[in-house]
Amino acid sequence: MTGIVIEGVTRTFGTVRAVDGVNLTVGEGEFFTLLGPSGCGKTTLLRMIAGFCELDEGQIRFGTKRIDTLPAHTRDIGMVFQNYAVFPNLTVAGNVAYGLKARKVTAAEVARRVEEALSLVQLGGYGERWPHQLSGGQLQRVAIARALVIRPQVLLFDEPLSNLDARLRVSMRAEIRELQKSLGITAIYVTHDQEEAMSVSDRIALMQSGRLEQVGAPAEIYRQPASRFAAEFMGTTNLLEPKALGLSGAGRVSLRPEALRLDAEAPAGWPRLSGTVAHVEILGPITRFDVRLADGSVIRVASLDEPHRTLATGAQVTLAYDPARVTVLA
Amino acid sequence: MTLTIPHQQRLPLAIAALGFLFLGLFLLYPLFNVFGASVLDGDGEKFTFANYVKILGRPFYRGAVANTLMIGVAATITTIVISVPFAFALARLPVPGKAAIVALAAMPLVLPSFVSAYAIVLLLGRAGVVTQWLNSWGIGFGSIYGAGGIVLVYTLTLYPYVLLPTMAGFKAVDVSIEEAAQSLGSSPRRTLWTVTLPIVVPSILAGGLLVFIETLENFGVPFVLAEDMPIFAVEAFKLFVGETAPNPSSAGVLGVLLILMTSLVLLIQRRFLANRRFATGARSAPPILKVGPGLRIAATVYCWSVVLLALVPFFAIVVLSFMEFRGPVLHPNFSTANFTALFERSTRPLLNTLMFATLAAIGVTLIGVPIAYVVTRLRSGLAAVLDVIATLPFAVAGTVLAIGFVVSFNSGWLILTGGPFIMVLAYTVRKIPFAVRSSSGILHQIDPSLEEASISLGRSPLQTFARILVPLMLGGIMSGFVLTWVTIASELSATVVLYSGQWRTLTVVMFQALEGGGGGIATAAASTLIVVTLVPIALLYRLIRRYELAA
Ligand SMILES: Nc1ncnc2c1ncn2[C@@H]1O[C@H](COP(=O)(O)OP(=O)(O)OP(=O)(O)O)[C@@H](O)[C@H]1O
Ligand SMILES: [Mg+2]
Repeated sequence: MTGIVIEGVTRTFGTVRAVDGVNLTVGEGEFFTLLGPSGCGKTTLLRMIAGFCELDEGQIRFGTKRIDTLPAHTRDIGMVFQNYAVFPNLTVAGNVAYGLKARKVTAAEVARRVEEALSLVQLGGYGERWPHQLSGGQLQRVAIARALVIRPQVLLFDEPLSNLDARLRVSMRAEIRELQKSLGITAIYVTHDQEEAMSVSDRIALMQSGRLEQVGAPAEIYRQPASRFAAEFMGTTNLLEPKALGLSGAGRVSLRPEALRLDAEAPAGWPRLSGTVAHVEILGPITRFDVRLADGSVIRVASLDEPHRTLATGAQVTLAYDPARVTVLA
Repeated sequence: MTLTIPHQQRLPLAIAALGFLFLGLFLLYPLFNVFGASVLDGDGEKFTFANYVKILGRPFYRGAVANTLMIGVAATITTIVISVPFAFALARLPVPGKAAIVALAAMPLVLPSFVSAYAIVLLLGRAGVVTQWLNSWGIGFGSIYGAGGIVLVYTLTLYPYVLLPTMAGFKAVDVSIEEAAQSLGSSPRRTLWTVTLPIVVPSILAGGLLVFIETLENFGVPFVLAEDMPIFAVEAFKLFVGETAPNPSSAGVLGVLLILMTSLVLLIQRRFLANRRFATGARSAPPILKVGPGLRIAATVYCWSVVLLALVPFFAIVVLSFMEFRGPVLHPNFSTANFTALFERSTRPLLNTLMFATLAAIGVTLIGVPIAYVVTRLRSGLAAVLDVIATLPFAVAGTVLAIGFVVSFNSGWLILTGGPFIMVLAYTVRKIPFAVRSSSGILHQIDPSLEEASISLGRSPLQTFARILVPLMLGGIMSGFVLTWVTIASELSATVVLYSGQWRTLTVVMFQALEGGGGGIATAAASTLIVVTLVPIALLYRLIRRYELAA
């Protein structure tokens, strides 16, 4: 168990700067997520840590030990791949034992630890099965057991859940988080799904075009986005000119839809805005609606379902917003 | 920036270096010497094109070029004309016994074509069984010696090169494309001509070009059937081992010209066909068409006739090998004398054949599979160059490569002539392209993240290759091994240049018996060769079947 230090790491493919001067420190036992849109360089950065991609510049250390110059198979890393990468020519137990055998662990010890790892991912008794007999979720559990069983210094996940269906994704991500915390292994997790990132991570690094956009705890990035990109990537938001809210200054402000309420449901001290309802969507637990303000701009609102509320397109409404939740963007 | 080699590229680069070394020494260097022989004057000192002028100035050799090309074009056209309807019938018409037809249709690819040629001579030649029988009824027919017979044998032995890819092409056409055409108002017949066939054309042409190249390089078939007609590969052989005055420079000229022709065809194929593949992303295979009984019977008769006709010569050879020969003349009595005569003298040719095929097939596998690994896994110009060089033997006729071997390893620091290794090496080089092609086909389907998973779990790239890739490729490697083995066992064109003394193979025995008119021994050697070919193929089939049933 070690922290990870990434210093000035850069990698270019042709003219594409896939990773561009990244500096990061991941704490011991931390669950750290690289989040960003497709092509922003998450996988490239992860593969540099794993040893499958060369660095043009910079270095990577586990604790004080520099590892970016080591061959991949000596780095002591457990990696979980997007497409599972379960060896089809080995049984489930054979897959999980693979890394232990590479480490010359005795046969009895291998058997014991394989069984332990399999029950940890709730696959106890599946050892003799073949990969083609398992479902996608089970395959991913095998891949996780295989990575955990070697007790690596660092666990790496590259979009491990993206091939699973939506429900399984939600339950598996909780399991992964729980396992990581109970074993205390430092983990770096790559995803482009901000909800997934927020649910599992201690901290998130938001990436764009090979650079770090913002690093922080999930709630921090959500509530205090440092840039327009961060504000929009972390969830639906209203990007407004300050004067639309009666504020002064240039640039833009971000106001999340849930920071707005209907006049009757809001505390008295909140500033008011009025407009006409342009569109209503009742999604079950929450209702989303758009309000067109006097200056023509449209503001998005989200609130919990209220049985007695009636909202019709074209109706005149007054909105209130929480002034503490207005973020001024650079 | 330092010039260290990234860890994950060390293994592929090391393999690439060994591959370049091997192919450089046993392919490029001999070919360079063939070229050298062709452009040096009599003393081997001055650079000159005089040899080219001399050879091309002689009508005999210009005739050889013309004959070779003409026969190649004719055989390509006949194979296409025969195979396209055949492929369509197999893909789209209700023909009974399709699995058997496809299995039988692939046989001519592994059976030695010169055996088929020899069978045609025994059946339809001047003293042929069928010829004599027909003559006794007062019926005569044209001579099968010369271009006609050669084209006939090429058609019967090479048609699978067009049939198999074309059939795959017809099956890969997505139904929805045909349905779209018909919903736009196109009749089924018009749809076939305007939509389906154009999609399949690249497959047809790719197969046709393979046929064309095979005809250019083939030595055995024209050797048996051409008689006085000059054919390139045969004339190169005669010039090189010529009894009167061996002439390496003239043989070199023919060799270089032959390589130029085949490379040109290969280049055409790469340039024009590589981009012309119409990926239709077939999700649902096209349906078997509903046709009337007339067409169904016609299609069935047609398919079975072609398949069986192509195998008749091989069958005939086996039957004839159990008959009595007096010199080249056949007598219709059962006899095992041919085999006694063949093996009485020595069982060495058979043992040599088995041994050489085994050694060379091992060599091909050990070199071809790692090269395929580099070609598919190393992202570098180096890999592309290695790929091209490893494909090159395909464009080099066996005769020409063998001439290069003799010129290169006859003297100097590495002397190989006169021994068995030169033959094994020549076979290995000749078959490497097939191993590289088939292995890289398999490797393309293996997800690289499996290798990365293994490496991240602590296995070095070399261990990962041995423990993950080799087991995953095993089925493919084994089939490749058997096919290589079988084709080496019946290799003739390089063998006849390279064999010496006790290192004769079955093909050499046949070749010498043909030259000396010993029909009995030739048929016995041919039948033995057929058995040697078919047994491993049958075993492979059973193995694959069992494997598939188990999985
Ligand atoms: N081996 C490579 N050769 C060339 N370009 C590459 C290579 N690997 C990545 N790139 C480029 O580098 C950039 C970053 O790629 P990367 O795979 O790291 O993105 P990502 O954030 O993981 O995206 P995704 O969410 O789609 O997986 C992309 O523009 C990609 O095209
Ligand atoms: Mg990625």
